[in-house]
Amino acid sequence: MFFATDLHGSNVCFKKFVNAGKFYGASVLILGGDVTGKMVVPIAEQDDGAHLTSFAGRQVRLETEDDVASFEARVSDMGFYPKVMSEERFQDLHGDPDAQEELFHELIRERLEEWIQYAEPRLAEQGVKCFAAPGNDDAFFVDEILGESEAIELLEGRVIELDGMEMLTTGWSNETPWKTERETNEAELRSMIMSMIDRLSRPESAIFNIHVPPHATALDQCPKLDENLRPVSSGGNPVMTSAGSTAVRELIETHQPLLGLHGHIHEGRGVARIERTYCVNPGSSYSEGVLNGSVIRLRQGEVRDVHLTQG
Amino acid sequence: MTAPTAGDRVFLRKASGLIKSASNTDVFIYDIGLVSIGLGLGFLLFYGPAVYLGGDLYVGTLIAGAAMLLVGLGMLTWTITIPRSGGIYNFGTRSMWPPLAFTLSFVEVTAWLFYGSFGAVYLVQLGIAPSVTAIGIITDKPGVESFGTDLAGKWGTFLIGSAALIIGAIILASGMRRFFFSQKVMFTIAVTGTLVFVGALIFTSRADFVSNWNSVMGDRLGVGNDAYNGVIQAAQKAGWSDPGFDWKQTLLLSNWAFLPLIGAAFSISIGGEIKQVGRGQTLGIIGAITMSVVVWIISIALVYKTMGKDFLGAVTYSNLNGVEGAATPVTPFPTLLTGLGTDSVVLTILIALGFIGWIWLWIPTQILYPTRALVAWSLDRVAPDTLGTVSERTHTPIPAILLCLAGGITFVGMLAFTSFFQLVIFIEVAVLAWALVLLAGVFFPYRRPDIYNKSPIANMKIGGLPVMSVACALGAAAAFFYFFNLFFDDFAAGHARHSMSVLIGWFVGSFILYWIMWFIRRRQGVNVDLAFKEIPIE
Repeated sequence: MFFATDLHGSNVCFKKFVNAGKFYGASVLILGGDVTGKMVVPIAEQDDGAHLTSFAGRQVRLETEDDVASFEARVSDMGFYPKVMSEERFQDLHGDPDAQEELFHELIRERLEEWIQYAEPRLAEQGVKCFAAPGNDDAFFVDEILGESEAIELLEGRVIELDGMEMLTTGWSNETPWKTERETNEAELRSMIMSMIDRLSRPESAIFNIHVPPHATALDQCPKLDENLRPVSSGGNPVMTSAGSTAVRELIETHQPLLGLHGHIHEGRGVARIERTYCVNPGSSYSEGVLNGSVIRLRQGEVRDVHLTQG
Repeated sequence: MTAPTAGDRVFLRKASGLIKSASNTDVFIYDIGLVSIGLGLGFLLFYGPAVYLGGDLYVGTLIAGAAMLLVGLGMLTWTITIPRSGGIYNFGTRSMWPPLAFTLSFVEVTAWLFYGSFGAVYLVQLGIAPSVTAIGIITDKPGVESFGTDLAGKWGTFLIGSAALIIGAIILASGMRRFFFSQKVMFTIAVTGTLVFVGALIFTSRADFVSNWNSVMGDRLGVGNDAYNGVIQAAQKAGWSDPGFDWKQTLLLSNWAFLPLIGAAFSISIGGEIKQVGRGQTLGIIGAITMSVVVWIISIALVYKTMGKDFLGAVTYSNLNGVEGAATPVTPFPTLLTGLGTDSVVLTILIALGFIGWIWLWIPTQILYPTRALVAWSLDRVAPDTLGTVSERTHTPIPAILLCLAGGITFVGMLAFTSFFQLVIFIEVAVLAWALVLLAGVFFPYRRPDIYNKSPIANMKIGGLPVMSVACALGAAAAFFYFFNLFFDDFAAGHARHSMSVLIGWFVGSFILYWIMWFIRRRQGVNVDLAFKEIPIE
C-alpha cells in the first residue's frame, strides 16, 4: 500500500498521490487527513488592469492574464487558494472574517471537486483501491464531498476490511494550540478510538489509521511553542517537544496492532516501533510540491517493509 | 480601515502549523555559535603572523568574509528554495544523480565529524593543557605547570579528547533539551570569556604587557630578562621575519578565517524549522558572517595594539619550531598570552574558560549534524535501518550517535598518535562537496523548474538570469577557490600524496557504499531509486 498525508490543498501533491499506485506498484492508496489548505491568496484587479497579490510576504504585481494564470497554478500547487477579485471586493473581505470563511468553504469545495474529477478516471484505469480520511484541520463538510466520490472511499470513523486485515480510521486529534476543527481532549479521543477497536475482530492484526501520532515517539516531535505561538529556542536552537496523543499511544501499547498510519506533525517523518507495532508518519512537504509518502509491503499478516519516499 | 500591507493581502484560516517565524535572532545565534568566534580568532592570530610571513590578517579576514558571503548567499538560495532540515543531502538528492548526492553527503558528514574530533583535540592541546600550564606559571607552581604540559601529550590528548566526545555524545543521547541547555551554558561562558579577553586587551597597555610578560616569563625562557624583545630576536635569528605585505601569503592565511566561517551557513541543516526562511536565514547566515568578521578585525587590532604583531608572530613561530630559549612552555595561543600579559590568575582562568567554551560548542554539534544525515540516509534506505532507530525514551537516534562517537574517537586517536591526519584535509572534501552542490544550484532553476518556480525567489532575476543561478555560481566560484586555496596551503591542508589518497579513497568508498546498499535493498525487494524520483503526473 501507499500512504501519504497532510496534503493541505496542494494540487500537484494530490495528482502525484493519484499516480503513486502505478509508480510504486501499490494496489491500495490511503490518503491521510488534512487535505485542505490554509490560505486564500486574493488576486485583486487594479484600475490599470494589472492585478495585485502577495507571495511570501511580498507584494506582487501581475501585469498580464498569462501572469495571473501562471501565478494561480503556482500557488495552487503549494496548497493555497488563489481567487481573482476586484480590489473593492478584496477590501470588503479584508475586514469581514465571516465572509472570508465563506470564501474558504467555497474554494475548498471547488478544489476537492476538481480533485475527485481528476482522480476518478485515473484510479479506475489503474484498478487501485483508494481511501481517504479528513484530519483535524479539515472542516466537517469535507467528509460530505469526499463521501460523494465513487473512486475514493471515505474512512472517517469506520472500521473496514482491507485484503483480510481490518483498518480503523479517525482524523480527530488531541488538543492543539490552534483550536482546530476536529480536536478534543485525550479522554474523549480515547473513547472515540475505543469504540472502533471494540468493532475489530483481531486488533493485533489491524491497521490503526489515526491522524495524530502516538505521544513521545520520533513521529510527534515538533518545535515547542510559547503562548504567542512562537518557537521556543534554547542556546540558539529550537526546543522540540512531543505533540502526539497519549491516548493513541496507550491504545497502541495495549492492543499492539500490526501497523499505525499517522500524520499531523509534518516534521515528524519517520518509522517508530511501539512493541510489535510499526508506526509510520511520512511527514509532509506539500508546499514544495514534494509528495512525502510511505510504501508499505504487507504479506501474510506481517509488515514486510516500510519505505519512506519523497516523490 | 487602513489599506492592507503586502503581508496582509492573504486570508488565513484557523489551522495547525500556522506558527509565527522562528525569531531571526535564534537563527543568528545558531549560526554564530557554529562559527566559534573564539576559535576562529585563535587560529588567525596563532597561525597568521607566525606561519604566513607577509600575510595580512586584516585583508585575509576580509577576503575570507567576502568569499563566505558568496557561499552563504548561494546556500541561502538553496535553503529558501528547499526549506528542509538535513543540509546538502536534501539539495543534492533533488538536483543530481542520487549516488553522487549520497557520496557528497557522506564525505561532508565525515568532514564535520572530523572537525568535531579536531575540536576535541584542540580542547586539550590549545584549551585545557595550556590553561593549566599558564596557571602553574602565574602561581609559580612547577607541579601544576608540568601537569599541564603532560596533559598535552599523546595519551592525555587521546583520553581527554575522547572523554569530551563521549560526554558530548551522552548529552546528545540523553535528549535534545539537555543538549540545548548545555550549549546555552557554554555559549554564555564563551561570550563572557571573549568579553573579558577584549576588556583585558583594551585596558592592558603595551608597556604593561611587556612588563608582565618579562616578569612572568623572564626566568623561564633563555632569552634574557627582557623576554619580550628576546623572543622576537631569537625568532628572527631562527628564520622568522616580517617581509611586508604578500598577496599569496595573505590568501593562504585567509583559509584560517574561511574554515570557521563555514559554520555561519550551518543553519541550512535546520531549514525546515524556520518558517520565514528567507528573512531568518538571511539574517542568520549573512549576520553571522558579518559579525564574526567585525569581531575578528577589532580583536586583531586590539591584540596588535597590546602585544605587537612582531611579538605575536615571533612567540608562536618559536613555539611551533622549538626555537631554543624562546619556545614557551605553554602553547602561546593569544587568549593565554593575554592572560599571562595581565598576570592575573582570575582573568587567565576566565579567558581560558571562554576559549574552552568556544571549542566545546563545536563538539556535540559536530556529532549532531552527522547523526541527522545518518537518520535521513536510513529513512531513504541507503543506510542500515538500525541507524534510523530513535530511542523512545530520549527521542534521539542512539545507534547513529554511537556510530558517530566511534568515528570521532577513531579520528581523535589518529590525530593524537599519528601525523597522518594532522592537517585539516577532510575540510577540503567538505568544501568541495559544498562547491559541487552550489554548482548544481546554478542549473537547478532550469533542471527542476517544478520546484524552483514555487520558491519565493523564483521571480528574482539578475541580468535576466535566475537569482539562484547567479548566487550559486558566485558561491561555487568562492568555494572552489577555497578548495584550491586549501589544496595549495601545505600548512592548513595541502595536497600531499597520502592526503589525496585519503580524499579520493573517501569519495570512491562512499560511492561504493551507496551501491552496496542499493544491491542489498534490491535483494530485499526495495527499489532505493524510487525514494528520489519524482512521481510523474499523467
